[in-house]
Amino acid sequence: MSTSKTPRSGVGGQPVAAPGPRVHRRRGGDGIPALAFLTPSIVTFLVFVLAPTVGVLVLSFYDWNLLSDGTFVGLDNFDRLVHDDRLLGVYGSTTYMALAILAVNVVAGLLLAVLLESRMPAWLRGFFRLSFLFPFVVSASAVALIWRFLLNKDLGLVNYLLGLLHVDRIDWLGSSAFAPVSVIIVSSWKTIGFSILVYIAGLQSIPPQLKEAAIVDGANAWTRFWRITFPLLSPTIFFLVVINTINSFQIFAEPRVLTQGGPGDASRTIVEYLYDRAFGDFDLGYASAIGITFTLVLIVLTAIQFRLSRRWTYYE
Amino acid sequence: MDVLRVSRLSRTGSRIATFVILGIAALAITAPFLWIFRGAFSGSDAELYRLPPTFDPANVTTDNFGKVTDQVPYFRFFLNSIIVSTTITVAQVITCSTAAYAFARLHFKGKGVLFAVVIGSLMIPIQVTIVPLFLVMSKLGLTNTLWALILPGIFSAFGIFLLRQHFLALPMEIEEAAKLDGAGHLRTFARIILPLSGPSIATLAILCFTYWWNDLLLPLVMISDTERQTLPVGLVLLAGRFSTGSLGTIAAGIAMAIVPVLIVFILAQRYIVQSIASSGLKL
Repeated sequence: MSTSKTPRSGVGGQPVAAPGPRVHRRRGGDGIPALAFLTPSIVTFLVFVLAPTVGVLVLSFYDWNLLSDGTFVGLDNFDRLVHDDRLLGVYGSTTYMALAILAVNVVAGLLLAVLLESRMPAWLRGFFRLSFLFPFVVSASAVALIWRFLLNKDLGLVNYLLGLLHVDRIDWLGSSAFAPVSVIIVSSWKTIGFSILVYIAGLQSIPPQLKEAAIVDGANAWTRFWRITFPLLSPTIFFLVVINTINSFQIFAEPRVLTQGGPGDASRTIVEYLYDRAFGDFDLGYASAIGITFTLVLIVLTAIQFRLSRRWTYYE
Repeated sequence: MDVLRVSRLSRTGSRIATFVILGIAALAITAPFLWIFRGAFSGSDAELYRLPPTFDPANVTTDNFGKVTDQVPYFRFFLNSIIVSTTITVAQVITCSTAAYAFARLHFKGKGVLFAVVIGSLMIPIQVTIVPLFLVMSKLGLTNTLWALILPGIFSAFGIFLLRQHFLALPMEIEEAAKLDGAGHLRTFARIILPLSGPSIATLAILCFTYWWNDLLLPLVMISDTERQTLPVGLVLLAGRFSTGSLGTIAAGIAMAIVPVLIVFILAQRYIVQSIASSGLKL
């Protein structure tokens, strides 16, 4: 996870008399200002993120049901984890739904953002932008509640509209083929406005002169997109891939309200499974073990993404 | 001539395609809300289930909103939500922008490790740490206060990551000029980086506000006093009476919870456009 590597270094805290060769003048040079800038984050991180995380780590070695005193059980919880057949299935359904949601956000989001940046009256742009971000401002449980009615097999609007196109009624929420699809639709529908917003911010920070110069040089829209927009947008795309991966692997409210994870475990996510172990069974030690391993999986996944990103992201 | 005409035709064609795609997407995305707003003003639940959807202006009523405020202390929830979301947003903009500056522009030992820790903490779902978080809060004596909802929201790995990415994309040249003029880090940060980052800070503010406005888990776990609950819990309380109560009332509750975030978004969007138009983005 290397941050800024070579050429952009060498700017110390003090005025530099002569530009000199591009080397780090002082190793670890900005330590004190860095500490000052980071302190608010560090303090809140330690108390409200790190301490609870350590707490979960400790809990994962205990058998604890909230009420009694916990008993230390060593690695028992992790042993149960390996032998939990349901868990593997839930990992499968989570991965399937998460990758689909990620793809919709990153690809369709980019398409819509680029279209939004094409020439049009300001009020129309504002209208589209507002519509796309609309679902994002509504709580996930409210969103899922709305969609439970729209996707209802007999009374829902979606099947009614499909009926007009002579498509048979689909059991959106009750069949194992379509329950995950429903979660994908609803979750993507909710988050795509966010991806579009981030894309727009990225697109707008691309200097217009570059595009103008390319137009003067006779490059068509397709070439301009791949040669200018895409490379300059690559940090934004990378950001969205990482954030959407993490968020979509962690969805909870949508399957919870829409399908209750069913039928069977067809649309169940890891976080939902974990929540049931913790607040349904009060099996807090085991739930913590699931949480720890799930977190590790996400960390490894993100580390791989950072690694791969060096090949395709471009920093000015 | 012909070539010109063809290219003009294809340009018109692609513009039409653009508007068709955007229009369909906008309709698909907003339709469920039209459904909700219709429900909020609808006098009978039977109308909500009728297909194709109808809208009879004669049936329009505002009774549902009154029913919402009768059933739950809605304005109290509303005020609590405003306090919590606004405080977190202001605090996050400060903590995230300063930290992002350190990660994007300063050189110090352990930066890579520290940034990895920040990104790593993104991957811990709050459902995983909610029990120990509750224990921390009760140790601090803050459970059942709004502080229990505000404090956990102030650190944001997501916000740091977002702003760092944007700071990295800012050109270095003006900063270097400022440094040569003897500007310290605080001045560079406040006078150069922040004014150039209006859009990304507005983005963070929108996301932060709406996230905490809609958060359900934290108030459910931390707050036992109904008077100190926030709006999403209010919606759940309403929906809890779902089987006996009316669908229109829930729709009204959802509609009332949507409006404030909508206002924030509209205001922030205008700011985004302004900052693009007036800022030094044209470098």
